[in-house]
Amino acid sequence: MPITISIPTILRPLTDNQKRIEVDGSNVLDAIERMEQQYPGVKEKLITGGQAHRFVNIYVNDNDIRFSEGLSTRLTDGDLLTILPAVAGG
Amino acid sequence: MNRTLTGCVIKGPKSIALDFAPIASSLLYQSQALGMQTLADENCAGDETLCFEFETPHTAPVTCEITRWEDPSRQAAVSENIMQAACGLMSVHGRTHRQPKPLGLNYVSTLTAALALQGSIAASIGRLRGLPVSSSTVSMAAAGLLSMSQYIAGATASESPETTVTARPLPGSPPACPPFVSLDGVTFELETLDAGPWQKFWSTLSVSSAAAGKGWRAFLLRYARAASPLPDELLLAISKLTYHRISQVCARTGMAICPVRSIDDRAQDDDARQIWQQGPWSFSSFSSGPKPNGDYLRPAGGALPEDDLPLSGFTVIESCRRIQGPLAGHLLALLGATVIRIEPPGGDPLRGMPPMAAGCSARFQALNRLKTVREIDIKSAAGKTEIRELARHADIFLHNWAPGKAVLLNLDHGDLAAINSSLIYAYAGGWATDCAEHVSSNSMPGTDFMAQAYSGVAGKVAGAGSSRGGSLFTVLDVLGGVVAAQGVTIALLNRYMNNVGAKVTSSLMSAATLLCAEDFRDIYSLPASGSKPSTSIINDVYATRQGRIAIECPDVDTVLRLAEVLDLTAGIENNGFQRCLSEVFLSKTADQWVELFQHAGIPSAVVIEDLADLQTLAHLQPGLTPGSYTQVNSPWRFK
Repeated sequence: MPITISIPTILRPLTDNQKRIEVDGSNVLDAIERMEQQYPGVKEKLITGGQAHRFVNIYVNDNDIRFSEGLSTRLTDGDLLTILPAVAGG
Repeated sequence: MNRTLTGCVIKGPKSIALDFAPIASSLLYQSQALGMQTLADENCAGDETLCFEFETPHTAPVTCEITRWEDPSRQAAVSENIMQAACGLMSVHGRTHRQPKPLGLNYVSTLTAALALQGSIAASIGRLRGLPVSSSTVSMAAAGLLSMSQYIAGATASESPETTVTARPLPGSPPACPPFVSLDGVTFELETLDAGPWQKFWSTLSVSSAAAGKGWRAFLLRYARAASPLPDELLLAISKLTYHRISQVCARTGMAICPVRSIDDRAQDDDARQIWQQGPWSFSSFSSGPKPNGDYLRPAGGALPEDDLPLSGFTVIESCRRIQGPLAGHLLALLGATVIRIEPPGGDPLRGMPPMAAGCSARFQALNRLKTVREIDIKSAAGKTEIRELARHADIFLHNWAPGKAVLLNLDHGDLAAINSSLIYAYAGGWATDCAEHVSSNSMPGTDFMAQAYSGVAGKVAGAGSSRGGSLFTVLDVLGGVVAAQGVTIALLNRYMNNVGAKVTSSLMSAATLLCAEDFRDIYSLPASGSKPSTSIINDVYATRQGRIAIECPDVDTVLRLAEVLDLTAGIENNGFQRCLSEVFLSKTADQWVELFQHAGIPSAVVIEDLADLQTLAHLQPGLTPGSYTQVNSPWRFK
């Protein structure tokens, strides 16, 4: 089922400068792996040791996947997956 | 060696304009903490500018001029709050309340004083190196704009610029944002840099995962946007528990907690008085060397400066993240230094933080645009070797690693001094020391909002009535960055005068002490170092026919002039006068009122509510450069 992934500027060199990509995927990990097939190198920027990088936030329709089922969070047709870096001060 | 500039003299005017008084007070405090001799000079005065001279034992005096505005032809009367209004700070601080509010701190004044002192010290270094520098100038407006750099960048980014973000409180209810309030009425901050503890904490309080997740996003973005609209479910859960119980949950889940303390509370801490006495920097020399011979005036690379900025040719190695440390490096770059920034392999993730401008985060660029980058894995053996090699040939090493990390990495000041004894090793931390042990605060993340709560700054902001505790504007990150850069510049001058490298430590906590130096002096019952400014009679923000106006009447004469302009002479003595103002101001626009008040010498300004408007104002334009995002220019001008 097609979902849209919003690509942050910093990853666009890996996605032919595309801002948005449509892929199929039953869950977040599945979608990222399918994106990796089209654009090699993206996955390692997002995932390490089977988890999303600590400094990367992944949202499904504005919901942080860490507060759902992580990379296993299920996706449905038309979902928007957004990737953003974490931020803090100090 | 904390009285680092003993032997130097600072000479300033005996009497000063009222709006410069907080700046002069902070300048005196800083100068005396550095061991300088302070002298009054009748010839060094004037209402239009605040002038002082800075002299070292090795140089003729350099003059430092502090002006109100970036456009020197504009002489409109100002005050701390007027400048906060004019530079957008009042609006950024007020975002959580959906209306501009003064910080309740002498913030722009303290920043201005620190930048002015740093400018004069940098000018002296330039002079010692043979550059034709005899004076430096800094304005209050430039200091105010500097504090807004990141927010201005976000508001003017070419790609999806930020619009003002506000919480949406119910009428009459407090805003749904940090700090939090417990069942027994304790106001406190929570902090974690990882989602894990946040998730466990709220789960323990039976908050739904969905609400905790939404809260996490808002909580993270408070650093960038000065707003943090949390789901009501979170605040409701907190409000049912005592502070003691919440502390227990924090201990179990890894969340850090800190009550919003008062300055009085902070003054009772074991280290508080010493930090106040020594000023916001702690210096320690590596070794005593031979008599000064000028060797250390030459940059470590041996190159002579090619342009006329005071620190041109000096090399800074910066290993810092987030705000405070990168701002310190940025300020040194603005003074001419070459800054090499160490980032993790793949680059700093904050490069990708929206909004973007020309392929990089506008906020990130605001602090890092002048640096060259080396990607190094500082935990690897090869990475540490590379850093040592960089430090061997550098003048300054600047980091803001977590307490204890430098020792673990074998990259502490002793390790690097062993390979470069003339190095200035600078640590810009959260708490007052980089030791991991024996300071209770060091177990908490050293972030702006925790430091505001612990230091008493948040309590002071609350006491001024502008929030229930602290500001979501990064008050201490910005001032801490200025203090760190200032400490490096002082250490560079000391390197010439005493032929020694040094470690200089500064922190968010020490910046907080600088910001509240007068409060500590009062608590410790010591005599004032300068005249203490009195409380203004009128000092408020009013709605007008279009826009808001900030107005301040520091004395009766100014109130009388205001009454005359408004034709309200009758009834000025009674309480109805101030209520009357709210109605009268609705008859003209904020611009129209400010023009009238300027002619009458009444401190006033249009309150900037959209930061993108700043670049359209003639009196601020010299301080800004438009582009893919609006850059804030160097606060210093050297002649």
